[in-house]
Amino acid sequence: MKRARALIAAAVVLAWAFVPASAARPAKLLEPFFLDDPVAAGDLPPVRERVPETPSIVTLNGTGQSLGRYGGDLRLLMGKPKDVRMMMVYGYARLVAYNTRLEIVPDILERLDVREGREFTLRLRKGHRWSDGHPFTAEDFRYYWEDVAGNAELSPFGLTKVLLIDGEPPRFEVLDKTTVRYTWSRPNPYFMPALAAAAPLFIYRPAHYLKRFHVRYTDPAMLRRQVRDAGMRNWAVLHASKDRQYRSDSPRLPTLQPWVNTTRPPSERFIFTRNPYYHRIDTAGRQLPYIDRVIISLGSNRMIPAKTGAGDADLQARYLRFDNYTFLKEGEKRNGFTVRLWRTAKGAQKALYPNLNATDPVWRAVLRDVRFRRALSLAIDRHEINQVVYFGLARESANTVLPESPLYRAQYQTAWSQFDVERANALLDDMGLTKRTSDGIRLLPDGRPLNIIVDSAGESTEETDILELIHDSWLKAGIKLYSKPAQREVFRRRIFSGQTVMSVWAGFANGIPGPDMSPEEFAPTTKHQLHWPKWGQYAETGGRAGEPPDMAPARELMRLNTAWRRATSGAERERIWRRILEIHAEQVFTIGIVNGTLQPVVINNRLRNVPAEGVYAWNPGAYFGIYKPDTFWFAGR
Amino acid sequence: MTDGPGTGAAAAVEHYVSTEPFDPRAIEALSPEQERYYLASQWRLMWWKLKRHRLAVISGGFLLVMYASILVSEVLAPYNLHTRHVDSIYAPPQSIHLFDRGRFVGPFVYGTTYRLNMENLKREYTENTKEVYPLHFFCSGDSYDFWGLTTARLHVVCPAAGGTLFILGTDRLGRDVLSRIIYGARISLTIGLIGITISFVLGMTIGGVAGYYGGWVDMIVQRLIEILQSFPQIPLWMALSAVLPVTWSPILIYFGITVILAMIDWTGLARAVRSKLLALREEEYCMAAQLMGARPGRIIGRHLMPGFMSHLIASATLSIPTMILGETALSFLGIGLRPPITSWGVLLSEAQNINVVALYPWLILPAVPVVLIILAFSFFGDGLRDAADPYK
Amino acid sequence: MIGYVVHRLLIMIPTLLAISLIVFVIIELPPGDYLESYVAELESQGESVDPKEIEFLRTQYGFDKPAHQRYLHWLVGMVQGDFGYSFEYRLPVSEVVGDRLVLTILISIATILFTWIIAFPIGLYSATHQYSWGDYGLTFIGLVGLATPNFLLALILLYLANVVFGTSIGGLMDPQYLDQPWSLDKVLSVLAHLWIPVVVIGTSGTAAMIRRLRANLLDELQKQYVVTARAKGLPQFRLLIKYPLRMAINFFVADIGSLLPSIISGAELVAIVLSLPTTGPILIAALQSQDMYLAGSFLMFLATLTVVGVLISDLALAALDPRIRLQGGSTR
Repeated sequence: MKRARALIAAAVVLAWAFVPASAARPAKLLEPFFLDDPVAAGDLPPVRERVPETPSIVTLNGTGQSLGRYGGDLRLLMGKPKDVRMMMVYGYARLVAYNTRLEIVPDILERLDVREGREFTLRLRKGHRWSDGHPFTAEDFRYYWEDVAGNAELSPFGLTKVLLIDGEPPRFEVLDKTTVRYTWSRPNPYFMPALAAAAPLFIYRPAHYLKRFHVRYTDPAMLRRQVRDAGMRNWAVLHASKDRQYRSDSPRLPTLQPWVNTTRPPSERFIFTRNPYYHRIDTAGRQLPYIDRVIISLGSNRMIPAKTGAGDADLQARYLRFDNYTFLKEGEKRNGFTVRLWRTAKGAQKALYPNLNATDPVWRAVLRDVRFRRALSLAIDRHEINQVVYFGLARESANTVLPESPLYRAQYQTAWSQFDVERANALLDDMGLTKRTSDGIRLLPDGRPLNIIVDSAGESTEETDILELIHDSWLKAGIKLYSKPAQREVFRRRIFSGQTVMSVWAGFANGIPGPDMSPEEFAPTTKHQLHWPKWGQYAETGGRAGEPPDMAPARELMRLNTAWRRATSGAERERIWRRILEIHAEQVFTIGIVNGTLQPVVINNRLRNVPAEGVYAWNPGAYFGIYKPDTFWFAGR
Repeated sequence: MTDGPGTGAAAAVEHYVSTEPFDPRAIEALSPEQERYYLASQWRLMWWKLKRHRLAVISGGFLLVMYASILVSEVLAPYNLHTRHVDSIYAPPQSIHLFDRGRFVGPFVYGTTYRLNMENLKREYTENTKEVYPLHFFCSGDSYDFWGLTTARLHVVCPAAGGTLFILGTDRLGRDVLSRIIYGARISLTIGLIGITISFVLGMTIGGVAGYYGGWVDMIVQRLIEILQSFPQIPLWMALSAVLPVTWSPILIYFGITVILAMIDWTGLARAVRSKLLALREEEYCMAAQLMGARPGRIIGRHLMPGFMSHLIASATLSIPTMILGETALSFLGIGLRPPITSWGVLLSEAQNINVVALYPWLILPAVPVVLIILAFSFFGDGLRDAADPYK
Repeated sequence: MIGYVVHRLLIMIPTLLAISLIVFVIIELPPGDYLESYVAELESQGESVDPKEIEFLRTQYGFDKPAHQRYLHWLVGMVQGDFGYSFEYRLPVSEVVGDRLVLTILISIATILFTWIIAFPIGLYSATHQYSWGDYGLTFIGLVGLATPNFLLALILLYLANVVFGTSIGGLMDPQYLDQPWSLDKVLSVLAHLWIPVVVIGTSGTAAMIRRLRANLLDELQKQYVVTARAKGLPQFRLLIKYPLRMAINFFVADIGSLLPSIISGAELVAIVLSLPTTGPILIAALQSQDMYLAGSFLMFLATLTVVGVLISDLALAALDPRIRLQGGSTR
């Protein structure tokens, strides 16, 4: 019991983090002007009937935060039609969500009780409704569990990985109209992070809407007609095409997010309007979001910096690059916006990935020698790269966690990442790579010159520039670097097939993990890992494909990953994490260059409650989502 | 004057007989110039006609100089292609002065002082008139590998010791733009030439075969051309460039890209060859050759082609610009040459963002040689075509 | 004449079949498929995709079927008017392309008119004043348009238009007019944006047009009937208008074939830079992301247009030119 309580404390802060648990619903709720007309016309019930009985009450008392007012259009720029999904990310209404301290707290849920890390009881807010006014209840969870996940035609490949612990699904129960429970026989530490993720696991569906397309609930003849009219192959395809909560481009699909799409694709401009049934309110009794409409304009993504600089966006970070900063700054005065620099949270902005599964036996042996990887890392002048490419504003570091993470230790950052050509040369000599060509390039054991071809997806000049700089410093260690740009798919294929010796890509996606976040990225887990794709595939498929890791540290990482999943206390998890990070620091499986690079964020001067300094991260973070864009508001001119 | 023509006619006229020997061909006799003209070969005629097209001659000369320059790019460029200057990133062009405070020094540049403006992260360079760096000519500078033969350091022009010489500014790694343009010419100029050669051979062979044989061969070739021309160029480029094996070295990729450009370009030429041949093969001299047992290859190559070869070359010249522009377009799409290879297309696609246009406009300068070369080829080709036209 | 038309129509069938096969090869050639590029794209933005979802999509979209089956499926669908499904948009192809066709045609027609308006007088002048400085100068200006890489010119104009005139960057109108009914302001806004693509795309076409008009006219001006007319004292301008120009116009008609697809696809690269809501960028994006049915059906559409266009221009030529009509043969 004591252990269980510790777990709860570690994983869940039961009450809303910004709010004392006793905060009650304000006596009077203020109707947004935007909805005055439909309410007056009787098309919409008044605000007090629309918000849940126990709404989520957001207190705005952080630095620079203030109570807002209703109104305004927030303009965003996006590149591709499928970027509209960013509204699901920015909106960031989740069953449970990360707060800015990266704790997972209930959001759509009124509360979530966890017992022994394996029994999760989800309590919904009474009176909570979908954006079309239909009640949001346990039925929506049941529909997902029985009729979507449990339907062989809709989910022919079974449950998603997160819901399976050792291949075992949970037991699902509906306790009452607003309570559901998932129980596994062993702890499932992935469940809550998946619910809170930027691209969340949707374990609920708008059942009342989707039943129309489900063979179990709709007259087959009528369904067949619908399938034919839509030009689909069968009802499952039709259902899947209607059921795209993450993509959020359908104006008909009800949602729980702060803004609801009103534009039917395809379009150049998507207009999202406020969700009249949204569950969050502020302390003054205003229903969130403050901003009435979000307008997304699509255009070619390489023109987005130009458009942003011309003042066409009110809040923009996507498709802006660090090197656009100077240009954006020039437009600040003229167009009434401010450019902020937020930190990114990747383990490394760019990292080199030696392919430990390379097919060439000579190369493989060399790459697997830890001295070689260390030498390569030592022979990179990170300071110069930082100065040339990042104005010295990035952090020279190995590919590891950032100082913002509670797991950070300076040694992870600095191990083998100080520029030291002498030591690098000594390590290489020690390996026996002492013979050289007339140009001073070392020779591989079989006599070929040590020419490392680094594959890149080659989309940005940033990568080619960094490689060019590394080329120069590696020469001093007798290694010649050639860069080889390829298209993304080709790039991945070559790595996976072992043709690639080394590649360059971004570092770990989550550089700010806490002990309760999964360390799976740091161990062989998927075939998308560029340094050990075959081992990753082996782990991913449970040994059906790929190759078993045959290096002791990699095997240990796999063991640690499993141990983390089974661990029952926060302290144990932290210990496991530390060991994992130590192994990475010592083994230099990936060679990070810099991290903590800066992301320009352009903010309209009238837009309030956007923090001046923030972390721009995908997960956890959901980019702006963690800072609650529904609390952003426009001040008067 | 009472004597009119009438009275003169009326008077008895003495019968005139020329005593000079009669030469019935005198009227056809040629002055030496005429003789030279009539005996001149077709090519010589073309040359004479071309000379009258002043712009074409100038353009031709310019092209010759440009092509000659790629033989000695290393010497012409003030810096090596890969030399970086960490202290001079995004440095604007330095102007060349002759007089320093009224005193003649010869060509020189002022030093620059660099300051990073932390407010907007702009690298600001100001001219420092206290430092005077005279240019050196035929001097020793960055070392380079000359055509794989020898290592040398000779440059036409180099900066004074301690100074810099960025006549066209530097890029984001502090590399001299002028040097990169000079090196880039190597790729960009030859890509057009090699490409056009390939497409020329393709066009002549396929068009020749179609035109000579006619019938179903012609039919198939016609449809093939029609099909190829019915596609927009870009998808074809994209598909073909996707087939280039990724394991190829940069040189092979470069070659592959020229082949791709050529593969799409030959259709126009083939069509021209075909229609000319269709008309020419009906001529008597062709029949005569056939009766004497000449093989088709010989008839096409020896008897028919020379008749309009000049014309073909002229139209080929006109399609070189398309190739050069094609290379830049491919680079723009990210399927052409990519850095570290340096071509004008690569330089331009790197300049293809709003930062450059607004802040570092000198990086657009690689467009200038592209425009000049294309103009030169166009005028030269126009001149050639006019000259090759027998009607004018 | 009827026999000729029937013959041409019949020959279109194997041509189109061959085109469809080539189109299919073109979209199948690049390694990988849409889902692979989809996963790779999301990964490059830090998102990961559930492999199970990908497997589901793979069967849903029929990627597990062999290539020839997919080809037949696509071909049969197209014959029945079903152009397939765009994976990227998750919509039927016809819906994706439909909306954009109108604007594309608008831009293209404006461009062609611009090109003709510029090219005609210059071509006339150049031909009648061969080798004069005016000839050189005007051809030079035309060629500069051809020689400047379009995408660069577009970017520069775009930036200048924004800084100098305050025109919003990219697109075909100010954003507030999108999805609004047509009004005077909207038309003005469209005009304020339209000139950049028209100038950029137009200038590149002008040079070629000038050159061809000039060459054709020069040929005509050498002819006997022109000499006769001149000898009879016909004023220079009337002389020019009366016959040679008419003859020279024939090649515009002959151009229809190649014009049609370019009207529809527009200048892709310029459209990408200018974020024009035309079909060109869709096609390029579809090819890049291997959205095969969108790319394939669209390419097929363009190719069919060309083939039809060539037919139309042949027939139109036959109708225009009595010599061709009477001989009843192909002009090509």
